[in-house]
Amino acid sequence: MMKGILHIVELDFRNFFRYKWWLAGLVSMNLADLFIMAVVYNHMLSSTVTNRITSYFNFFAPGLAVTGLFASAFMIGREVNMERRREIHHYMLSIPISRYELAFGRVISGGLRGLVYMTPLLLTCFIFVGFPTIPQLLLIIFTLFLLAMGISGLSISIAVSTSSFEKFVTARGLVYYTLFFCSSVFYPLFLIQDLGQSGQFPAILVIFAEVNPLSNASDMIRSFLMGTPAFSPYWILSVAIFTLIFALTAAFAYIKILAR
Amino acid sequence: MVERDVRLFFQYKFLIIMRAIWFVSQIAFFGLIASRMINVTAVPDYFRYYVGGLSVMTLYSAAIFIGFDIYEEAEHGVFEYLLSLPVSRQQLVLGRSIGGGLRSFIYVGPLIAISLYVMGGLNPIAFLVSLFALFLFSFGVAGMSITIAVMIKSSDRFDIFMGVLDALIVRLSTAMYPLAIVQAANPVYGGIASFNPVSFAADLFRWGTGIPQIITFDNPLLPLLGIVAFFSFFTLFGVVIYGKRIEGGSWQ
Repeated sequence: MMKGILHIVELDFRNFFRYKWWLAGLVSMNLADLFIMAVVYNHMLSSTVTNRITSYFNFFAPGLAVTGLFASAFMIGREVNMERRREIHHYMLSIPISRYELAFGRVISGGLRGLVYMTPLLLTCFIFVGFPTIPQLLLIIFTLFLLAMGISGLSISIAVSTSSFEKFVTARGLVYYTLFFCSSVFYPLFLIQDLGQSGQFPAILVIFAEVNPLSNASDMIRSFLMGTPAFSPYWILSVAIFTLIFALTAAFAYIKILAR
Repeated sequence: MVERDVRLFFQYKFLIIMRAIWFVSQIAFFGLIASRMINVTAVPDYFRYYVGGLSVMTLYSAAIFIGFDIYEEAEHGVFEYLLSLPVSRQQLVLGRSIGGGLRSFIYVGPLIAISLYVMGGLNPIAFLVSLFALFLFSFGVAGMSITIAVMIKSSDRFDIFMGVLDALIVRLSTAMYPLAIVQAANPVYGGIASFNPVSFAADLFRWGTGIPQIITFDNPLLPLLGIVAFFSFFTLFGVVIYGKRIEGGSWQ
C-alpha cells in the first residue's frame, strides 16, 4: 500500500514544483506581511497587549508560518477540482493503484507540500523569535504535519463537492476568511474572548476561535518560542481531531467521486 | 468599449461575491478585533481608520482585474475580434482604461456605502472631492494594470508580479496605519508611504468622511495632486504602450 501512496506523493510534488515562481511570489508576500505590516503594528500596540505578547512581530511570525502552511496545503484542492472538471480522474483510475492509495496519497501529499512550503517561513520565525528545544521542534513538526493533512483533506472535500472552479474559489474564500480571521493568527485569543465577554462578539465565534486548529497550532509555536500562552496538550488533540475528520471525509468523498 | 468591459466584469459573479465576503469579514473580524489591540494615543479610532483604508484596498484590487482580462482575451483569440471592430485604436485603448476604472468604481460603490454606514460620518463637499479622487485613482490603477499586462507577456508572471506588488503597495501605504507610525517604524517605509498613491487615496477618503479622529491632514491639495499625477501618468503611458503592443500581433 505504501508504494502506491509514495507514487501519488511523488506525482503531486512534481506538480507542486511546477509552480515554483508562484511559490516564490507567495513567500515574498508572506514576508512582506512580516517585515512591513508586523514591524509597523509593533509601533501602535496598546501597553495592555504589549505586556502580554512582548512584540507584534514575535507574535505574528508563528501565525504567519501557519498561514503559509494553510495556503499551500490548500493548493491540492485546486488541482483535484481541476482534475474533476477535466475528467483527468479517469486516467488516475487506470493507474495500477487502489482507490484507497490514491485518495490517502492525495491527502498525505497535500500535507507534505504544505510542510515543505512552510519551512522557510518557520525558519524565519525561529531566527527572529528564538529556537525551540529538539523535543519541542519535533512536536511542532508533528502537529504542523497533522494540521497540513487536515487542511489538505478540507480542501479536497470542498474540491470534490463543488462542480465549477468559481464555486470552489468562492467556497475556498469563505473557509479562508473564517479560519484566518476568527483565529489567533493575527491577534491574541484573549482579545476575541474579551470581545465575547463584553457582548461585542457572538459566543459561537469565540468558541470557534478557541477550537480553530490554526489558533491551536499558532499558539503552540508561540508557547515554545515566547513562553506565552502557556502550553496546553489540548491544542494537539484539537488539531488531531480536525485532521481525522477532514482526512477521512476527503478520502471517502474522493473515492466516491472517482467511482462515479 | 467601456460598456463591454463593465458587462464583462459583472460576469465574474463568484469573484465579486468573494471580494464582498472578504470585505465584510475584514470589517467584522480583523477591523473589530485588531482595533482592540491598538494604542488609542497613536490612533484614536483605529476601527474607523481601518474601514476607510479597506475601501481603498478593495478599489485597488478590483481595478487591477482588467489586466487579467487582457490575458484571457489574448488566450481566447478575442483580441483579433476587438481589433476588427469599427473603433479607432485610441478609442479602443482609452475605452479599456476607462472601463477598467469605471467597473471597479461601480463594484466598490456599495462597499463604500457600507463603509460610510459603519464609520458613521460624512462631509458632503469633502466627500464629493474625495469621490472624484477615488475615481481618478481607479482609472490610474486600471491603466497601471493594463501597462504591466502588456509589458509582461506571461499571465503567470503577471499574476505573481501583481500579487507581490499588491502586497508591497498596500502595506507600504497609509491604508492600514497612519504615516507618522510608518515613519516611526522605519524611515524608508515612511518615505515610500508618503509618495504612494494608495496613501493619497486612503487619506483623501478619510478626509471626505469628515471624522476628526481619522483625518490625517489639513490640506487635501497635495494628495489630490498626487492622485492626478498618478492617473495622468498611467492613463497616458498605458494608452501609448497598449496602442503600440496591439499592432502587428506583438502581444501574442
